[in-house]
Amino acid sequence: MRLRIGLLCLSFLLLLLIVFSLLWGPTGFGWSSVFGSASSPVAQHIFYHIRLPKTVAAVLSGAALSVSGLALQTLFRNPLCGPFVLGISSGASLGVALSLLAGLTFGCFGVLSSAAIGALVVTIFVMYVSSKFERASVLLIVGLLTGYFVDGFVSLLIASSSAESLKVYVSWGMGSFGRLTFEQMGIFSVAVAVGLLLIAVSIRYLNAAGLGDEFAKNLGINVGLYKRMVILGASILAAAATSFCGPVAFVGIAVPHLAYALTQSSNYRVLLPATLLCGSSLCLLAGLFTTLPLNALLSIVGVPMILWVLIRSSRNWRL
Amino acid sequence: MLLKAEKLEFGYKEPLCRPLDFSLASGEVVALIGANGCGKSSLLKTLGGLVPPLGGKVWASSVSLVRMGLTPPETMTVEEFVSLGRSPYSNFLDGRTHEDLLIIHEALAMMDLVGMARKKVVHLSDGERSRVFLAEAIAQQAQVLLLDEPNAFLDIPRSHFLFRTLRKLAEERGLGILVSTHSLEYAERYAHKILSFTGLGNVECALANEARQKGLFDWTEI
Repeated sequence: MRLRIGLLCLSFLLLLLIVFSLLWGPTGFGWSSVFGSASSPVAQHIFYHIRLPKTVAAVLSGAALSVSGLALQTLFRNPLCGPFVLGISSGASLGVALSLLAGLTFGCFGVLSSAAIGALVVTIFVMYVSSKFERASVLLIVGLLTGYFVDGFVSLLIASSSAESLKVYVSWGMGSFGRLTFEQMGIFSVAVAVGLLLIAVSIRYLNAAGLGDEFAKNLGINVGLYKRMVILGASILAAAATSFCGPVAFVGIAVPHLAYALTQSSNYRVLLPATLLCGSSLCLLAGLFTTLPLNALLSIVGVPMILWVLIRSSRNWRL
Repeated sequence: MLLKAEKLEFGYKEPLCRPLDFSLASGEVVALIGANGCGKSSLLKTLGGLVPPLGGKVWASSVSLVRMGLTPPETMTVEEFVSLGRSPYSNFLDGRTHEDLLIIHEALAMMDLVGMARKKVVHLSDGERSRVFLAEAIAQQAQVLLLDEPNAFLDIPRSHFLFRTLRKLAEERGLGILVSTHSLEYAERYAHKILSFTGLGNVECALANEARQKGLFDWTEI
């Protein structure tokens, strides 16, 4: 009961932030100039092509990164896991570096599709190699090593590029919700929905996964199938968010801990929606400050905030 | 008969003993004894369906392998852990019906855990933890419980309590229980039958009060 009220409060907070994020911006205008009789084309353009995509990007990537982090932390039974242990961000960085610094282009969305393709290629490679081994921890090692390998190429590209293209690359690496366009909202939403669905149908496995594979098998759970679904879902989520918003690592690692501190529940029926709502709210909040680089803002403001919540709740939770 | 093994061969690659015939009836506690590494755990895992048999067949109604040595996630409470026992009956979203909640509460009450339902499992003592693991198995409502050295970390009074509880579960609820242990004392006192790995790939079974005369304990003295 108490948890239901908590989830409702979080949903309400998210809704409030969504409305605020749609209304608030450097140019002031009311609802009537977008929908009403006194509609102006400038206000409509700002609404549909700037504020709406930005809000959608923040809500979806916040949800995607935090849920992906939660799923991977559970799967590997490691609280330091985040979406980027699988080499996803390195893959996306390589794609972006190839397109911005080396001038190669992939697909019709420019930088974004390069990031998506890079992320997918590296993820598929990491998953293929680690599927040869039985232990789940091998995936972490392969992911990290592949990440370093790919980062090496990125460094080579950086060293041999001009100052101008380097600046664009660096600004991608700082992360932003402002890059998603109206036309890309559809495909981004579909990718996030598929990823979330894959993880949501694995709740029964996630609840038992903390006690190991044999325990889950003993409960009649098809461990192999669910493990693959969770990894695939987490990869899709992280790859989508990274492609469209840049490598925002912090959300995926920290938000699951924040959600636990707030709910004090290790049941994923509660923890999963709580993580999703916290992630979206946090990203919306960070997205309100348009002029600051996202990664810097999240780290400088977000880390102390989350540390404070963790310390406050540590009275009944020994870290 | 709740569980029946015919000409069962088990192990990893090489069978660990001669083909084994074994059966477990309702209301029966069978103690499994043998030296370290002789195959007690492998036998339990094979009967529990976690490891495929190398030969022969196993028939079983619902079986649950209870492992006392597991470390649950730090954040998991007693109630949440026992609730996992209902997940074989839930759908993929892992919801709990009203009936599930009653069964969970009954399992907690039976193991005298209601007062600590909100405590974290990792903060409990070994004795309390063994009760939590048993409560989870009770909530599963499996007909057969397989236990792998449940008293390995328990002191003497708590070991007695544990085996008394197993016997009570078998007699009152009609479960079949196969429990591996290194304590002959508890095996003789609380089990109906004893299954012994007597060495050289032999496995023998006898009533608990006849096992000593029949030489089932000979391997324990070198």
